[in-house]
Amino acid sequence: MAAETEETEDQEYESRVGASYMLSRLLQDTTARISLILIAIISGMALFAFIDAEFLDYRLAETYLYHPLRNNAGTRPLLPPVGLSNQFGEGVLAHPLGTDTRGRDLAVRLLYGSRIAIQIALVSTTIGVVVGTTVGAVSGYYGGWIDDVLMRFVEILYSIPFLVLVIAFMAAFGRELIYAMIGVSIISIPIFARLIRSEVLSIREETYVEAAQAAGVKDRNILLRHVIPNSFAPVVVQTTLQMGTNILIVAGLSFLGFGAQPPTPSWGQMLSIARNYMLPAPWFSVWPGLAILITVMAFNILGDGLRDTLDPRLEN
Amino acid sequence: MSHLRYTIKRLLQAIPVLIGITSITFLLINAMPGSPVEVMLGPTASEELIAAAEERYGFNQPIHVRYVKYILAALGGDLGRSIHYGVPVTTKILERLPVTLLLLASSFAFALSVAIPLGIVSARRRNQPVDHGSRVVSLIGVSTPNFWIGLLLIIVFGYHLQVLPSNGLVMPLTPISEVEGATSRLDVLVQTVRSLIMPTIALGTLQMAAVSRIERSSMLEVLGRDYINLARAFGVKESVITRKHAFRNAQLPVVTIIGLQLTSALGGAVLTETVFNINGMGRLIIQAVRTQDYALIMGTTLFFGVMFVIGTLLTDLTYAYLDPRVTYEGED
Repeated sequence: MAAETEETEDQEYESRVGASYMLSRLLQDTTARISLILIAIISGMALFAFIDAEFLDYRLAETYLYHPLRNNAGTRPLLPPVGLSNQFGEGVLAHPLGTDTRGRDLAVRLLYGSRIAIQIALVSTTIGVVVGTTVGAVSGYYGGWIDDVLMRFVEILYSIPFLVLVIAFMAAFGRELIYAMIGVSIISIPIFARLIRSEVLSIREETYVEAAQAAGVKDRNILLRHVIPNSFAPVVVQTTLQMGTNILIVAGLSFLGFGAQPPTPSWGQMLSIARNYMLPAPWFSVWPGLAILITVMAFNILGDGLRDTLDPRLEN
Repeated sequence: MSHLRYTIKRLLQAIPVLIGITSITFLLINAMPGSPVEVMLGPTASEELIAAAEERYGFNQPIHVRYVKYILAALGGDLGRSIHYGVPVTTKILERLPVTLLLLASSFAFALSVAIPLGIVSARRRNQPVDHGSRVVSLIGVSTPNFWIGLLLIIVFGYHLQVLPSNGLVMPLTPISEVEGATSRLDVLVQTVRSLIMPTIALGTLQMAAVSRIERSSMLEVLGRDYINLARAFGVKESVITRKHAFRNAQLPVVTIIGLQLTSALGGAVLTETVFNINGMGRLIIQAVRTQDYALIMGTTLFFGVMFVIGTLLTDLTYAYLDPRVTYEGED
């Protein structure tokens, strides 16, 4: 009897926390749904730009757009977007968003920029999550001097103004995008380390962890199988938000000249070129920033939606 | 624990952090290609000359010896000489520091004066149009790159409407003769305010958005507590409840966020100063990296670190002031 009731309660409980339940609740939220669609579109664009290389180059050159990596002879620089006109002439349908200083199509360059943005979001955030989670979990689980040493180190990383740290890092190793990503992932580490440590500190005291310890389960397995999975909800939320933040930081770095190097287009770098043409071609400054805004906002909305879904305490 | 003892303890805790910041920067600078002497003497210098100069400036010593020497000198206020500018690093920093401090202060003033009322109104009129509006504004605020806001402002107000200057920052104490068209101190101050408006909005928007989000959720939480309901039951006016009972208690998370925002504001200052061509600390550090000015990179990073440590310290002390329950007894 008792076992039976417990089982039904269990099932009920199960159905309220399962991944599919979370997803369905998340999808009930209109804004979260829109953000997922936006992220899907941007990721699709990025994937397209990533796999296409020559195919896209060929097709776009054949049709009406210009490839961002090639300096096309005979193209018209700084064409305004369709519907606007400026001293350089009318906007043409072939370049719906206008062209840049070398006559390269802005729409295509934006599309290519999405690749860099998504790449940054994925790579730098993943490194940050993996290293940060490990450090935080070990620190919180073992406590004592290990905790002291690791947390002091995390605090130091946290205390260096991040842009300065990454710039110094890139000055030392190189200005390429990969170093920007590593640098940004280093500054994501303390955020995740602190977050997971505080979660682990409370989970460590749970009876199921004690039970596992009493049963002689190895520390490593307790950490990987019980502690980390149970503290993951806030990490998922923070990961989503961090992706947006990291895109913002790398855009800032690229704007300063530390990041993707020309001719590879990135949104931040496009803005740093556009900055010199604000008077004759203001739209040139508008599009890349808008692209950053939309992408980062999509990640932020998704993060907020996930927080509402994953943390029942915030329901009211 | 008394506030004084707590302050001293926090000051002592800042020491390992500062050692960490300096040693990481020192290591990074040493990993940079080319030695400072080569940069200083240029590509045409002979090897003997380089060796002699390295000997003279002590660059041939092992790294830990140089580090200790640097720290000892820094404690005495000597951060070395800038190769690019040919002046002591401290002189250059002190020249640029007020500019960045003014920019930071005005952007935080802007952020707080907008964010706190916005958050409170949002919380009191939850799910009403005002709330939705302010949430959308803060969402856009936390998602927009500050340098892009700067560019848009320049396009609209600097170039198109031509109502605000888009270049540089006039300091309030600049000699009157150096400010174009100014005949009195008042003119200079007007120029200062005019040149501050756009950078302040560009830099402060992120802080404003982040703070108003926290203010809203914190106020919502406090307004739902039992003692607030009790006050309502006694017929206390809603405005009095907000002002006298809820506000102060809701400020703890807000103070934390303000403290955390300081690092991002320092980073943002680098970008904002670049966009508006303001000669502050942020641009100085970029120039230092571009010109491989080692002593200047080291000095500016150290200074940014110190500013951050002071900021965190102030945050923690404000905490203690706002909430008498915070005692720090159990703290490690």
